Amino acid sequence: MPLTIYGKKLDSRLLIGSALYPSPQVMKQAILASGSQVVTLSLKRQNPTEKSGQQIWTYLQDIIAESNGYLLPNTAGCKTAKEAVTLAKMSREIFKTDWIKLEVIGDDYNLQPDPIELLQATEQLIADGFKVLPYCTDDLVICQRLYDLGCEVIMPWASPIGTGKGLMNPYNLETIRLRLPDATLILDAGIGKPSDACLAMEMGYDGVLLNSAIALADNPVMMAKAFSQALQAGEQGYIAGIMEQRQTAHPSTPTLDTPFWHQS
Amino acid sequence: MNIHINGKAYPLNKGASISVSHALTFHFSEPQKSTFAVALNSDFVGKTDYDTTFITSGDSLDVLQPIQGG
Repeated sequence: MPLTIYGKKLDSRLLIGSALYPSPQVMKQAILASGSQVVTLSLKRQNPTEKSGQQIWTYLQDIIAESNGYLLPNTAGCKTAKEAVTLAKMSREIFKTDWIKLEVIGDDYNLQPDPIELLQATEQLIADGFKVLPYCTDDLVICQRLYDLGCEVIMPWASPIGTGKGLMNPYNLETIRLRLPDATLILDAGIGKPSDACLAMEMGYDGVLLNSAIALADNPVMMAKAFSQALQAGEQGYIAGIMEQRQTAHPSTPTLDTPFWHQS
Repeated sequence: MNIHINGKAYPLNKGASISVSHALTFHFSEPQKSTFAVALNSDFVGKTDYDTTFITSGDSLDVLQPIQGG
C-alpha cells in the first residue's frame, strides 16, 4: 500500500537522510537502493571558496530525479521557533517545496526537541502555508497538539538522534498510534537496526525516517536494502494481523492420539 | 563599523546603507550561479527583495546553501 504524505503517494515507507555517508557516490547508491522517495537535507553557511556544497546539491537533485522523489528540508540546529521559521522560509525558496521537517532542539546533550518552541513554530509555519512534518518526542499530548494544529504527519522519536538505541519506549509509541488513528505517523530518529524499523511497522506506524543506521553501516548499500525489506515485512505483518500474546503455553501440534501418551 | 556576512566582518561607514544585492558582492567574488538563500539579522529576505532591502553597520547577513542532512 502506498504511503501518503500531504497528498503525495509514495511507493516506499522509508524516508532517508543524506548525511554521514562515506562519499557522495555511496550516498547516492544507498538512497537509490533503499527505494525511498523522500530525502532529507539541510542548509549551512556558504563558503564562496568551497565547491563541494554545490556538488552535493547536484547529487541530491540527481537522486530525486532518478527516484521520482521529493526533498524534505529540515531545520536542524535551530533552538528557537524564530530560527526554525526563518530557516524554513529559506529552505522553501531554495528547494521550492512547502514541506519542512521541523526540528527545534531543546537540549544539546540528547538533542531532545523543545516541545514549546516546536508548537509555536508549527503554528506560525502552518499559518504561512507550510506543510509541517514535526520531529517530536514520544509524548502523546504533544503529538495530539501538533495534530490539532494541522500537522497531517507527526514524527515522534524512537530514541535520541544518532544513538541507534531503537524504540526506547514502545508503550508510548503504541499509545500514540492508538490515540491518533488518522494521523500519518513516521518514527524518526534513533533507529539502529532493520528489526527496529520492522517493529515500528508492526505497531501500525506509517513509515520510518532514518539516516545514521544506513550511512554508518559497514555496507550502506546492503543496509539500505535490508531496511527496505524490514519495512515491508513489518507492514505486511501489521496488515496480516498479529496474534494475541497468551500467558500460558499451548501446544502447536495436535495432542489427540499423541503416541506414547503418558497416562497418569 | 562593520557588517557581518556569515560571521566575517566587512567595513561599512557609520550611517551608510547598502542593498542586500550590494552586500552580496562582498561575499561572492563573481556573479553567482550557485544556490543560496539569505537572512538579515535572522529574518528571511527573499530574492525579489535583495535590491530593496538595506543594510547598515552592525547588521548581520547569513548566506546559506544546501548541505546533506538527516
